[in-house]
Amino acid sequence: MAERLVVTGMGAVSALGFTAEENWAAARDGVTGIKIQPFDPGPHGPASVDFPAAPVKDAALPALEAALGKRIGNSLDPFAAHALMAAHEALGQARLLGAPLGHRAAAIMGNGIGGLRTLEKAYERLFGLKATKVHPLTIPRVMVSAPVSAIAIEFGITGPVFATASACASSAHAIAQAAALITAGLADMAVAGGSEAMASPGGLRAWDSLGAMSESTCRPFSAGRDGMIVGEGGAAIVLERESHAEARGATPLAYYVGAGMSSDAFHWTQPTLEGAVTAMRQACEPGGLLDDDEVLIAAHGTGTDLNDKNEAAAIKHLFGDKAAHHPVTATKSAHGHLIGASAALQAVIGLKALAAGLAPPILGYLGEDPECAGIDLVLGPKARAIKARSLLVNAFAFGGLNCSLAFRAA
Amino acid sequence: MSSRDEELIDIIAEEALIDRAKLDPAAKLEDIGLDSVDLVSVVFAIEEKYGIEIAEDSFTRSDTLGEVVKKIDALIDAKAA
Repeated sequence: MAERLVVTGMGAVSALGFTAEENWAAARDGVTGIKIQPFDPGPHGPASVDFPAAPVKDAALPALEAALGKRIGNSLDPFAAHALMAAHEALGQARLLGAPLGHRAAAIMGNGIGGLRTLEKAYERLFGLKATKVHPLTIPRVMVSAPVSAIAIEFGITGPVFATASACASSAHAIAQAAALITAGLADMAVAGGSEAMASPGGLRAWDSLGAMSESTCRPFSAGRDGMIVGEGGAAIVLERESHAEARGATPLAYYVGAGMSSDAFHWTQPTLEGAVTAMRQACEPGGLLDDDEVLIAAHGTGTDLNDKNEAAAIKHLFGDKAAHHPVTATKSAHGHLIGASAALQAVIGLKALAAGLAPPILGYLGEDPECAGIDLVLGPKARAIKARSLLVNAFAFGGLNCSLAFRAA
Repeated sequence: MSSRDEELIDIIAEEALIDRAKLDPAAKLEDIGLDSVDLVSVVFAIEEKYGIEIAEDSFTRSDTLGEVVKKIDALIDAKAA
């Protein structure tokens, strides 16, 4: 049997705060990071428009610079800066800062779309200002692997380093890949997760044009829900071979016990029951979660009509009679949808919830939708005491790409 | 130094993420840690701000900061003339 993998560090930055603890505390206390605010595309675009969204506060950059003890300025797109901030916190908690981490360390981070803000600026110059040149570092700032390169350079990680992309499941796939690399013997430890910074004038317009965005807020599994809310940020965990963690005296925060992946191979925006159930089942089986009396489920829970009814049906289909006993949280109602970073942030908040014995509340709930009934939604305004010792994190992406992760409390 | 020269050094500090206090006009670019990637960012920012064009081979890393500022001054003055 393969050696167990332990989580020894966690980091997170989102509209809810700049650390894992701040994110957990806000989610636990029912604080939302979502608010209606102007998104002004500048003098070459259409008029400014108000959208509900959950961007990261500007003070994140000075906080990161203070943590690293050096200037970052505009040398990184925000999506890479968020990744670096989360990775720094996670490695700090794991007591892995200081010496370069070397070739037995990996960094795998997911994102959905790359450095959109940098790209928007470049295109404003070309198409708005009719300039012939864009910033010479546009490519290295935009590229989807910029976050992992920034992390590798900062922490001296010379083993496997790459990005994963599967839209809203990107960071779940990253964590699953990191675990697989360690299990395959290609690394002893990894920092894994994801980041995204799509809460830009162009990003918001694109989501709005798709008709996927709520006009008010994210209301997972609720009657009257009308869509997702764009959030942004980064989240990361440190995964290690158990013997590696023990040898250096690291404290296990939780155990990683499985991942499941599937593709619907069906539709760009409509999910399938089979795809969701397959990913969840594969994730649950190795760690025995299907037999647990209580599993904390960190739902994908986007607040869109289609996802939430499909996910509720998938939970009922997989867990049968037990489904009604598994508390279901959906913290996108607080931090918005961080796209490629969502699964990692929900894993961090979920692991904090397991440790605290408290499930964070679903916000914005207006009333029961019969199509989402039969699962145990944790409704606000306050956190609920739970007995669960295991966590299932779901990520079901546009394009039909699914990935679920399973953990056990330490 | 003129206020414009101070401004140019501010831009260099900002774009190359170098501590402003370390930007001694007598120091060579290579000695203050300004690499080729930093240099393209600096050139881009200065071209933007002053509406000038700086040829690719205008500077080498063995130039001093003072020499670089003097060359840029000349280009800005040439444009204004």
